[in-house]
Amino acid sequence: MSAAVSAVPAASTRRRGRSAWIHRRDRRGIWFVIPFFVGFGLFMVVPLVYAIYTSLYTTRIIGGTVFTGASNYTQTLQSGQFWSGVIRVVIFGAIQIPVMLAVAFFFACVFDLGVAKFGRTFRTIFFIPFAVPAVVGAVMWSFLLEPQFGPFVHVAGALGFRGVNYFSPSLLLPSIIVIVIWEWTGYNMTILYTALKSVPRDVVEAAILDDTPLWKIILRIKLPMVRPAVVMLIFLNTIGALQLFTEPQILEYFQQGAVSVNYTPAYYAWNTAIAADETNLAAAMAVILAVIIVVVSSVSLIFRRRRGEFS
Amino acid sequence: MSSRTRFRHLAVVPALPRRPGFSRPVRMTTTVVGAVALSLLAGCSSSSSSSSSSAASSASSASSSTAASASPSVTVEAGGSCSSSSATKITFWAWVPGMGRAVTEFNKTHPNICVTQEDVGAGDPEYVAITNALKAGSGAPDVAEVEFDELPSFEVTHNVVNLVPYGADSYKSDFTTWAWDEVSQGSAVYAMPGDSGPVAFYYNTDELAKYHITPPTTWAQFATDAATLHKDDPGAYMTNFAAVDLQWIMSLMAQDNAWPFAYTGGSNVTINWTGPAQMAFASYWQNLLAAHEVNSTTDVSATSFADLDKGIDASWISSAWGPSYFAPDAKSSIGDWRATALPQWTAGADVAANWGGSTYPVFSQSKHPAAAAEFAEWLNGTTASWNITKTAPSSLFPTFLPLLNDPSFKDTTVPLSGSSTPDVAFAAAASSIQGVPWPPFMTEALNEASTVFAGVQNGKETLQAAFTDFQNVLVSYAKAQGFTVST
Repeated sequence: MSAAVSAVPAASTRRRGRSAWIHRRDRRGIWFVIPFFVGFGLFMVVPLVYAIYTSLYTTRIIGGTVFTGASNYTQTLQSGQFWSGVIRVVIFGAIQIPVMLAVAFFFACVFDLGVAKFGRTFRTIFFIPFAVPAVVGAVMWSFLLEPQFGPFVHVAGALGFRGVNYFSPSLLLPSIIVIVIWEWTGYNMTILYTALKSVPRDVVEAAILDDTPLWKIILRIKLPMVRPAVVMLIFLNTIGALQLFTEPQILEYFQQGAVSVNYTPAYYAWNTAIAADETNLAAAMAVILAVIIVVVSSVSLIFRRRRGEFS
Repeated sequence: MSSRTRFRHLAVVPALPRRPGFSRPVRMTTTVVGAVALSLLAGCSSSSSSSSSSAASSASSASSSTAASASPSVTVEAGGSCSSSSATKITFWAWVPGMGRAVTEFNKTHPNICVTQEDVGAGDPEYVAITNALKAGSGAPDVAEVEFDELPSFEVTHNVVNLVPYGADSYKSDFTTWAWDEVSQGSAVYAMPGDSGPVAFYYNTDELAKYHITPPTTWAQFATDAATLHKDDPGAYMTNFAAVDLQWIMSLMAQDNAWPFAYTGGSNVTINWTGPAQMAFASYWQNLLAAHEVNSTTDVSATSFADLDKGIDASWISSAWGPSYFAPDAKSSIGDWRATALPQWTAGADVAANWGGSTYPVFSQSKHPAAAAEFAEWLNGTTASWNITKTAPSSLFPTFLPLLNDPSFKDTTVPLSGSSTPDVAFAAAASSIQGVPWPPFMTEALNEASTVFAGVQNGKETLQAAFTDFQNVLVSYAKAQGFTVST
């Protein structure tokens, strides 16, 4: 069954590949790709090369700029602060991604079954948090969680948990997880929903005729068939988790000292560049973080290619 | 004017793309299908216009905030249209509200100079913009507002102009000694001192009376009173100890003669957070914190102002600008607030402290240093200017003696203090402050402090341990920056 499903996108990819080959010698196509490559060069390649170049030097208040080779890299690799941030985002992802995907899959199934009234409207409502800029979302949540006036503190108080501080060291990570789940569930749900919609009707109809219970149809038939989408979302969300920045940065504005300078690797690189004015060291951190992400992405590509999702 | 902690909340939020992992192009059939479905969804649903417009606005806000982080969004506050087109053009960066009124007055009275004021952000965002412009070689303002603690960071890189050749010395006698000390290095003067924040004991007279406490004159008495008060009402505190507000803690350390730095310019710096005086200071406050006899939240925040207003905190070790920040949040305690001198470490002594305040240097990139210096001197060294900036919304507290000694300034009343005149105590404090040598890396120190001292705020670490950690962090930073460090 799953082989039949994965054969469909594979075939379509091949068809596209052939048509691209036919037009390869048509030079007019260049004009269509030049705008992309100009932007790609200016905003991807140039900054990347500049970051690597910068990371090889060190600018000191006393003594100016000197070439220091790999010293910024060794300093970062040996920095406990940097790695504790990496470990934190890994823990963050290990909790946030499964929870969010489970919630997203649940609602995708509900909408896919068509049992909910006003399904289309609710799908749009669920998607709205994704359209809200992360900064705005984080500011809004900061107000909700604020220890003095925030309504959620009063909710917790009414339930018997007095003096709860959502910004405290033990609750900060769970708070950020909740915020990020709120922001991204709708987006993940939409992708899962469209994947579920592509499950062939006849397969489901056959299962229904066989008197298969609903939960089996969902977990044993539909879930395996949308597995490529789930795998893709796991990797995309992992990359997103590694780059976690906006939410902790905004929360720090609301309670000074709540978020440590090295809370996440991206936040640490930013603090190193802006507050400590150690741009070179920050560039090395950014490059190392990028390498980690490239490794994760490559693993994802290899994994998916092995499964024959694309060639 | 003020503490960075306050302004951090107002600062421009630098924008990095939101978790950009998601926005990367992915060659995936599901994604393509998903994207098509999304546009269909948006197109078909009844709320299509709202969802697409919010997507559009999110895109535009993202691009504008990205631009802001590259070159901060600039608000032109004053100037721009001067009477004479041949006038020398000066750019001035400052964030004090209402400062534009003084600039307009200067332009009116100095037809050959045309000052344009821009607000590129309060505190850090402005320093980042200046530092970037200095590195780039162009784009820095001629004159800018720079807090006292940040000035040495610009001195050490030789980016500010010695104002002595432009007649700054003739203003020396018009300023408090400590303020002039902090803008001077040897015989050079690197900025004009502006406003300041003399610290006083700012207390709720009704609350203290309730516990039969009179304002303590010594810190020993203060500790006893704090214990008494907390015992009478376990939900109330004598005051709040803001462990993550480094500038505030350092002002109290200065008053205790426990200043943790020595610096006179150049490449030698002394960092000492672990000496006997510093540890004694830490242990005094740690004892109060451990016994929960002082509150331990952030200061200059909605939380701390609510605590003051509700009588949870009976006093605030506040600077002269503090009450104007507290006033909008005060409701039930309006009229109850008085100011008096800080408790002393030695009975009968008269040592005060300063918390906050700004200076106005001329940057070496300026093409018109003489005109820029003339403006900086007029802005900070004339009664004409101070008569504007002392009033709301600027409400600056002067280092300028003619105003500081003016009875009509000291006798001002504000609703928060009823019929009392709090500025008498703040003005008295202004004359007993000792100048302090700020190290040339305060941005980094302030940034690290919020992490290092967070454990003290939530009771996970002692103040002594935090001082020791902070010592290590700063020493390794200073060494990495090429300084010769003594401890």
